[in-house]
Amino acid sequence: MSVDSAAASAVAAPAGAGALGPRLRGSRPVLLPLAAAAAMLLGWQVADILLHVPSLVLPTPVEIGGELWRALPTLLAQALPTTRDTLMAFAAASVLGVGLAVVITYSPLLRDMLYPNLVFFQLVPKVALAPLFVIWLGIGSPSRVVFAGFVSFFPVVISAAVGLEGTDPAALRLCRSLTASEWRSFVLVRFPFALPAIFSGMKVAMTMAVIGVIIGEFISSQAGLGFYILNAGSRLDTPDVFAALVVLCALGVALYGAVALAERGVRRVYGRH
Amino acid sequence: MAVLEEIGQTGEAASPARFARGVLLPLGFAVLVILTWQILCEWLRVPPILLPPPSAVWAVLRDNYGILLQQALPTATETIVSFAVASLLGVALAVALTFSAWIREAFYPNLVMFQLIPKIALAPLFIVWLGVGEKTATVVAVFIAFFPVVVSSATGLVSAKPEVLQLCRSLAASEWQVFHMVRFPYAMPFIFAGMKVGVTMAMIGVVVGEFITVQKGLGYIILFAAGAGETATVLAAIVLLCGIGLALYGAVELAERVVRHRYGGAMPVGGVI
Repeated sequence: MSVDSAAASAVAAPAGAGALGPRLRGSRPVLLPLAAAAAMLLGWQVADILLHVPSLVLPTPVEIGGELWRALPTLLAQALPTTRDTLMAFAAASVLGVGLAVVITYSPLLRDMLYPNLVFFQLVPKVALAPLFVIWLGIGSPSRVVFAGFVSFFPVVISAAVGLEGTDPAALRLCRSLTASEWRSFVLVRFPFALPAIFSGMKVAMTMAVIGVIIGEFISSQAGLGFYILNAGSRLDTPDVFAALVVLCALGVALYGAVALAERGVRRVYGRH
Repeated sequence: MAVLEEIGQTGEAASPARFARGVLLPLGFAVLVILTWQILCEWLRVPPILLPPPSAVWAVLRDNYGILLQQALPTATETIVSFAVASLLGVALAVALTFSAWIREAFYPNLVMFQLIPKIALAPLFIVWLGVGEKTATVVAVFIAFFPVVVSSATGLVSAKPEVLQLCRSLAASEWQVFHMVRFPYAMPFIFAGMKVGVTMAMIGVVVGEFITVQKGLGYIILFAAGAGETATVLAAIVLLCGIGLALYGAVELAERVVRHRYGGAMPVGGVI
């Protein structure tokens, strides 16, 4: 969504002050944010020590690092079910979402019937339905997968439908005048045109899938990072909470990165045609 | 969302056929789904714990509206407060980021990073910091709703057309004049796009906060009723939540129209994300 284009524009922003050497200036978009992050961590550490903040309230980054190192095997073992549930939910949401978007594109009647209702679902807080999925599917992994899939389905279908709808009419007319079949014009024109929109929907869906699984683990689970975080929180073991959060953030960014990478790969394949 | 505008436009076009298609068709479909749900529930004798018929949900709404509205009040207040705080902080930080290329480059990627990670997982930490209560749910919601606003606003504030900025410079406009006559109006669509995501996020944050801090509010009702197997009450509370969510989203949409109308006289605003 906006995130991606925003990041791109930030990276592409012309380097204003040219006091740096050319090589340094090239790596500025990478180094500067990293330096800022490092400075914030350092400030956190120093403030924590100077103000004698108890580690229960806010542990120092060094403490969190130590805890992370100590608990890493457990954390990775807990990350496994979370990752598996997220990927399953994301895959289901993507396939169903794109599928429904294709159906909607080819049937104006269905489109008019369903689309406003889909947008309605996009706007309401679906998270509130989480306890219902527990009633329906129990407290196991299926209820979390279905709930996360449900939450992440709507961004995909809406984004994909907008993308498929927004194909350049001139290109479609050209296809028709060249007597391309419906299928061929879909594969060669509509789908490639919609790819950026589909992927932006899938990126939102991936973050939503992680959120859905975590919320599912909050309210019903015996395993997973969400369970671990809630458990460590109720033990008031704040360093442990932070260590789990670090792993979870890494997981979230890695999964998002995987979608972004897939987008690049697919776009390159289609770009060659 | 584009869809809602589209519906509005078809309504204004005053062509009855298009009105029927754009408004009555989706509404009719929704009614049809609810009717089917009712009939299936009665025919198949679905136990009301699994899925109560819509009539049972309506009965709960009708008989207990006092209690439900009483619980809806804190939820609505928390959402509005957290959304307002998140919007103000988000736009303010975005403005601060615009004035220095260095600061922007240093912090913007970190903000985008935060946008990607599942922030909801930090909710248990807020309990450690702030205890259980309304305050925690509000702060969780602010934290979640803040990032979409700041990322989107910051993108908008740097997206003013270079020609216009050059014109301002050649007319010797002050930095402040450039800001409030060009940059800010140009950023309006982006700011509102961020605020629309923000308002749905604030709702999610409040509900999740109420899930895990359990004292009052619709999130509490939902979790409590789900635990007691009163699915009809869960659905009734969700209906109210959807109402609140849509009303707030509609309010933002309305505010956008009003603001655009005012700025529209002075400056054409184009190019939404």
